Amino acid sequence: MDPTFKPPPPVGSSPTTFPPLPKLEILNPSTLPPHRFLRPAKRINEGPDVSHFLTSKAYRDICVWILQLNHALVPRIIKKSTAAPTTAPKPTDEQKAEANEEPPKDALAAKLQLLRKKRDEQLLPREEIKTFPLPSSREGGLDNQEPESIQKLQRLLKKVEAIIDEAPPDPGPRRFGNVSFRTWYKLLESRADGLLREYLPGGVLRWEGAGTTKEERQNKEEEEGTETETETETEGESDKKTNEQKPEVVGPLEELKAYFLGGFGSAQRLDYGTGHELSFMMFLGGLWKLGGFEGEENDEDGEVERRIVLGVVEPYLRVIRRLILTYTLEPAGSHGVWGLDDHSFIPYIFGSAQYTRPISSPNEPTPLEGSVPNAPKPSDITKATAVERYRTENMYFSAIGFINDVKKGPFWEHSPILFDVSGIKDGWGKINKGMIKMFNAEVLSKFPVVQHFPFGSLFQWEKDPEAGVPVQSVHMQNQPVASAASAAVTGGVGIPTERPSGPGGVTGTAAPWAQAPAQAPGAGAGMPPPMTAAPWARSSGAGVGPSTANRFTPFKPSGGPGGAPNTGPPPPESFPSGTPGTASNQFAVTKAPWAK
Amino acid sequence: MSDLDRAIAQLRACRPIPESDVRELCHKAREILIEEGNVVTVNAPVTICGDIHGQFHDLMELFRVGGDPPDTNYLFMGDFVDRGFYSLETFLLLLCLKVRYPDRMTLIRGNHESRQITTVYGFYDECYRKYGSANVWRYCCDVFDYLALGAIVLGASNTISPSAGESSIPTTPEGDEVEIEVCNAQGEVMSRFPRPNNGTNSDLQSRTNGIPPPSNTGPPGSGASGSSRGTVGNPAGAVLCVHGGLSPLIDKVDKIRLLDRKQEVPHEGAMCDLLWSDPDEIDGWGLSPRGAGFLFGADIVKVFNHRNDLSLIARAHQLVMEGFKEMFDASIVTVWSAPNYCYRCGNVAALLELSEDDSGLGVLARNNGDVNRSDGGGGGGLGESEPQPMKGPARRYRVFQAAPQDSRGMPAKKPVADYFL
Repeated sequence: MDPTFKPPPPVGSSPTTFPPLPKLEILNPSTLPPHRFLRPAKRINEGPDVSHFLTSKAYRDICVWILQLNHALVPRIIKKSTAAPTTAPKPTDEQKAEANEEPPKDALAAKLQLLRKKRDEQLLPREEIKTFPLPSSREGGLDNQEPESIQKLQRLLKKVEAIIDEAPPDPGPRRFGNVSFRTWYKLLESRADGLLREYLPGGVLRWEGAGTTKEERQNKEEEEGTETETETETEGESDKKTNEQKPEVVGPLEELKAYFLGGFGSAQRLDYGTGHELSFMMFLGGLWKLGGFEGEENDEDGEVERRIVLGVVEPYLRVIRRLILTYTLEPAGSHGVWGLDDHSFIPYIFGSAQYTRPISSPNEPTPLEGSVPNAPKPSDITKATAVERYRTENMYFSAIGFINDVKKGPFWEHSPILFDVSGIKDGWGKINKGMIKMFNAEVLSKFPVVQHFPFGSLFQWEKDPEAGVPVQSVHMQNQPVASAASAAVTGGVGIPTERPSGPGGVTGTAAPWAQAPAQAPGAGAGMPPPMTAAPWARSSGAGVGPSTANRFTPFKPSGGPGGAPNTGPPPPESFPSGTPGTASNQFAVTKAPWAK
Repeated sequence: MSDLDRAIAQLRACRPIPESDVRELCHKAREILIEEGNVVTVNAPVTICGDIHGQFHDLMELFRVGGDPPDTNYLFMGDFVDRGFYSLETFLLLLCLKVRYPDRMTLIRGNHESRQITTVYGFYDECYRKYGSANVWRYCCDVFDYLALGAIVLGASNTISPSAGESSIPTTPEGDEVEIEVCNAQGEVMSRFPRPNNGTNSDLQSRTNGIPPPSNTGPPGSGASGSSRGTVGNPAGAVLCVHGGLSPLIDKVDKIRLLDRKQEVPHEGAMCDLLWSDPDEIDGWGLSPRGAGFLFGADIVKVFNHRNDLSLIARAHQLVMEGFKEMFDASIVTVWSAPNYCYRCGNVAALLELSEDDSGLGVLARNNGDVNRSDGGGGGGLGESEPQPMKGPARRYRVFQAAPQDSRGMPAKKPVADYFL
């Protein structure tokens, strides 16, 4: 038992006194005028746009959604008599909890504890604490206990994961990120419509036909089709795509698809980071808004939310970890040891919530300190054996376990932030509170992270009339704002055409001030990445053959990068998103933080 | 023992020095660096290193493998800071060594030696955590602005010097000149590669003959072609060291010398490109996926080297799993000196040794200052020689792995970030 555990407030402070906690609004499909779905578009184009984002309705919804899920994971104090029939308790946990209680350190504390316990028992007869560990038997994959919406999403993730088998990592020499991830991603992109149609929870389909006419939708679809064609030139997949594209494709799927596809990393940069994770969380948030999760109306205590996190988010993270391992995806914008984690943030929020001090009423706010009895100590994350033990039940330990899998070296050195957090004395509630604050500052408030987040009808760019002024942190003050200045210098081309694609489809690299190259990279650019042949081996001339001489770009080109004034953002053709340029093929390559 | 020596000893033990000492050190360093040109001239022998990224213990391993300063001359091609745990100790130690042995240590600027990049990628956080304020970060950033942008290595030998370590491979047959030698961390020769025979050379030549002659060199005898080659003995050609790569705005090394470098790294322009660009298997120039700098192909490198009398460009900036990677017929090499980068990449690191030319033709005096810069070889012309790639200097790569970790104990936990208070 955590020594800092603070007993729950006496039950006398009536649970009914808490006002209801905010929840993400569920839209009503029968309101008029009907909801109009919009194709999500990039809006954050330069540093200062982040300030607007922090006062937008989308930001409000993101916060509400994350906090709502977080709150659902906090352990509950339940009266046995009422709890037994309604919920399906995991009895082993509670029994374990009572049986394994650590003996307190000294006699005085022991006495105190005993007294407290007695008092508690008198006050709260037949109470038990319910925790929400990860489901234990995940090997088979699907959990038949889950409601249909959760099962469907689990199947969706299984399908997504199975694509890995169709795109085995390229065995050839490479620098780091595996180019086969581009194949994987193209397959996902080409199948996304079909997959979503098949596996989206049924409630979402109520929205089909809302807002747009069939004609409009078809036009939209065609547009989209051609765009994907130009960006992804893969033979074979387009057939599949047309097969899966049925004329009934409607607005909501398209809008959700942007967040879904944005959740699986960047094919162009071969990376994955917290921005992608956020995109997937908001895909789930969008489903919620559209009433995709059944049973919500009768759920007073976050059961649906818990199933979403434990039954969908954690399996999603597992798919992501497999993608990272398979294709050695680079941590997007890695801060090296000075980031919380190379790729993830959300498991640290939800995992700490799982161990937070229990609450006794559904509307009791998330505790800001204290741990649930029998939780591992925060310092246990530095012990490999403890991590192995708890990684199957807790999302925080699950994430730490993955770090231990991939990193060599002292934990305190390669993960100093997590190491420091492990010294916190006020329990997992304190950690949870800190993680949420940090998420707000390091993920939601960072231009490099949120710049790709798309805005549509579900998550709106419009200002939230009730929004306060965003708090400026040190890092927010120091974050790049210069792209705006730079755009001004180069002729005000700061706002590139809004690409309708989600975070995943953004070409991403075209800094607005970057001048068009003197010539489009020739055929050589489309070739596979260079063989990492023995560095001393004499090249037989690939890339420097006679054709090179012909393509040679003389200096002082009239319209070249040398002196030509900026002519605006380069056309996409000048840098195909699929270009396996070696520079993009590597681990922890430093991206200009001001890069779009 | 001077204060400086004491600081060096303390930093070698991986212990930060007090804030006031940092301030003084940075002040002294600036006085030295301000005297250096944008392109520093360095004479062989010299050991060239790539990115370190705060991997202090691996830097110690590098010194063990490459020889301790000042006994070995070092040239570090930037990216001392960010991502690693010990950026502060790493940079301050290198800076101390620079102040103590200015002619034996050369530090040039990487794209991470910048205010904006260090706030994003960790050095700022590290300084704040280690000192409780951003003052030290500010002092360091002021030094960054004075770091040179590149270096020219002169007087490197065509032939490999005898290896200090024991050779596990019999020396090559007589007559075959060794061009590349790869050693492991114990100094044992892992492989040797003779210079290609004449056939290959003519092959090379025929290929480069298709390239139009450079148009920007001055006539023989003019200032623009004041060649170091042939007059002061630089048989192997000069080696340009720069962190990232080339810029479409820079066709001659002398143009680098004209830049005003004493500023934060700009988002675009020549100075930015030198620190951000990458070579790639493309023709000509391409956009960089990094969002700064450019990609450049083999043709660009070959013409640049040819025009500038260079035999090789050494650069860093990109992780290479094998520690080093020569590209484009050995006209450019990437050197990477951070083993097991970010604790997870599993790569080895390398350093590149260029030995002193012992042909007796004489070597330019080392000059850190601006005087006689035109002797630096960078402005060399081609008027008097055939346009063909120069024979590169003999190159010895020493490959090493991450330092063992058993000696590092677990520290006390630090106060956590504000978020958790």
